[in-house]
Amino acid sequence: MTESLNVTVDRRDGLAVVYTEGYINNQGGEDIARVAYKLLDEGYKVLLLNLAGTKIVNSIGISILIEIIEKMIEIEGQLGFCCLTPTIEKTFHIMGLAQYARIFPDEQSAVAGLRA
Amino acid sequence: MPGSAPSAAAGVWEELSALSGDDLHERLFLQRLLEEWCAAHGAAGAALYLRPPAGGALELELAAGEGHFPEELDAAETPARSLPLPGGLLSFEPAVAAAGSHPLALLLAATAKCCRLRRQLKDQHFQVNYRGVELEALYDVGLAVAATLDLEQLSEEILLRAASLLDARRGALYLVADGHYRAERTFGGDAGLSFAADDRELQAFLSGGAPAPADLLPGARHLLGVAIEIESSPRGFLAVGDKESRRGVGPFPPGDRRTLGLFANQAAIALENARLHRQALEKERLERELDLAAEIQRQILPKGAPEVTGFDLVGWNRPARQVGGDYYDLLPLAGGRVSLVLGDVSGKGMPAALMVSTLHSALRLLLDRAGLGPEFLERLNTHILESSASNKFITLLLAELDPSSGHLQYLNAGHNPGLLLRRDGGVEELGSGGIPLGLLPGSRYESRDVVVQPGDLVCIYSDGITEAEAPDDEEFGTERLLACLRRHRNRPLQAVVDEIDEATIRFAAGLPQRDDQTLILLRRQEA
Repeated sequence: MTESLNVTVDRRDGLAVVYTEGYINNQGGEDIARVAYKLLDEGYKVLLLNLAGTKIVNSIGISILIEIIEKMIEIEGQLGFCCLTPTIEKTFHIMGLAQYARIFPDEQSAVAGLRA
Repeated sequence: MPGSAPSAAAGVWEELSALSGDDLHERLFLQRLLEEWCAAHGAAGAALYLRPPAGGALELELAAGEGHFPEELDAAETPARSLPLPGGLLSFEPAVAAAGSHPLALLLAATAKCCRLRRQLKDQHFQVNYRGVELEALYDVGLAVAATLDLEQLSEEILLRAASLLDARRGALYLVADGHYRAERTFGGDAGLSFAADDRELQAFLSGGAPAPADLLPGARHLLGVAIEIESSPRGFLAVGDKESRRGVGPFPPGDRRTLGLFANQAAIALENARLHRQALEKERLERELDLAAEIQRQILPKGAPEVTGFDLVGWNRPARQVGGDYYDLLPLAGGRVSLVLGDVSGKGMPAALMVSTLHSALRLLLDRAGLGPEFLERLNTHILESSASNKFITLLLAELDPSSGHLQYLNAGHNPGLLLRRDGGVEELGSGGIPLGLLPGSRYESRDVVVQPGDLVCIYSDGITEAEAPDDEEFGTERLLACLRRHRNRPLQAVVDEIDEATIRFAAGLPQRDDQTLILLRRQEA
């Protein structure tokens, strides 16, 4: 088990899927934010964060995800999450992330939902 | 307001107005105000500093244009080129005239303070929500008591939740095993492998009175640990390291010890349930194995006695546990002969049963290949030595009867002597002719012969019968066995067995059977 986070991106015709693997903490959150803002600079306004490889997120990581959500609202883009563990999904609901970003059970339904 | 801002073009105020609508774009709004202030006063750059609510150094809120503006300003070191504002100051470069007269500066400071207040409210809202996450986590671990009985899965769940709740970069869960705390799960890096349960340095750390042992989470600068206990009995401990913030890592505040302690309390119950569940599963598995072993042993023991012309023959066995260390066999051989075998493996239970199985296989194999004689037991001894644990041995009485002549050849490897009750009441012993099998390599054995006459009764037995104990520790003994045999010698052999069994049970007076009991009775019919 490592504390670092691996982030990979799959660009798909106007929609980018960001895959994470590891701990979303301060460093991990910054890594996601860097990738997300780069995608916005490239013109992607619809982002999907697939957290299938993440079992743990802390409050710093959540605050950075909220900043990404605020940025997406600012540019009138869309952000979705998918493949969350039950614990992370519950955390996102309590912390209010689910009010401003959509949560999907799997990647297929997320891509379809964000494109609709 | 626009009238009092001579350098601001009408377009700028429209732009600021748009930025300050319902959804205030605060950073852009303040940035534009600061840029307008610089333009109005001919400054190359400026920075707004605000005093934090708790006091201390002024913090950089935002900057525009050129110039060096540090992140913090000591309140006692006001820059030469600065304008005091309510709750902070405006620093600028280079020197400009009439800096204090412009209302934009006041507007900028007031708006920045409002925005900061808004952020503070947002942060507090975040903290309140996160307290909800903490409570949910505690609740969830409580639920896991009922839902998760897999110790490994539960350990990971507990450690990950503790680390995320406390914003820890590192963590480890230790559980007590064999008088030591051993690392069950680690997170974010390695942990020390184990600590003695009575390690004073560790105990002092867990009680909050001393720094952590150096090798607990190597590389972590700030550690927090709490004990996991069930009714004051240590079951393990939880340790986390390096609390994260946006600025890096730091120590855990005092409230985190309480949170981790609550978490450890919940975890203790969950872990104890998982441990008990694992124990129950292990016991169940052992029971299944014992049932299987008992079934195998039942298959090994003869279902009945073979017909032997001119003789009555019976065998009987009752193990003290599910599986036993006694073994007997009644094996018909060529020419109407029959082999009688009674062995007693040291110990009881599963290890003894495995030895019984080994003995049975070897006997069957060797009896088919070699005739009965000293070399037979010598080969058997070698085989047992090679295939058993060093502390295991077998006593064995092996006899072969030729029913046509009544000739009985026997070999006794350290077994208690068999008894031959002559028709006239005399008793002869089928005594030992060597040491038990499996003790020493190269052991030698002696073959002996007797002739069983009409009316004679042979009894081969295990020490579970003669060593059956009464409540006063007295043993049943050979004399009581002989008395039983004498009293019932003319009855059907199964009835004789039943009488001996009942006699030992009566003698034990309710005490449980301590050792396996086995009997072989052979009687030559009257001519």
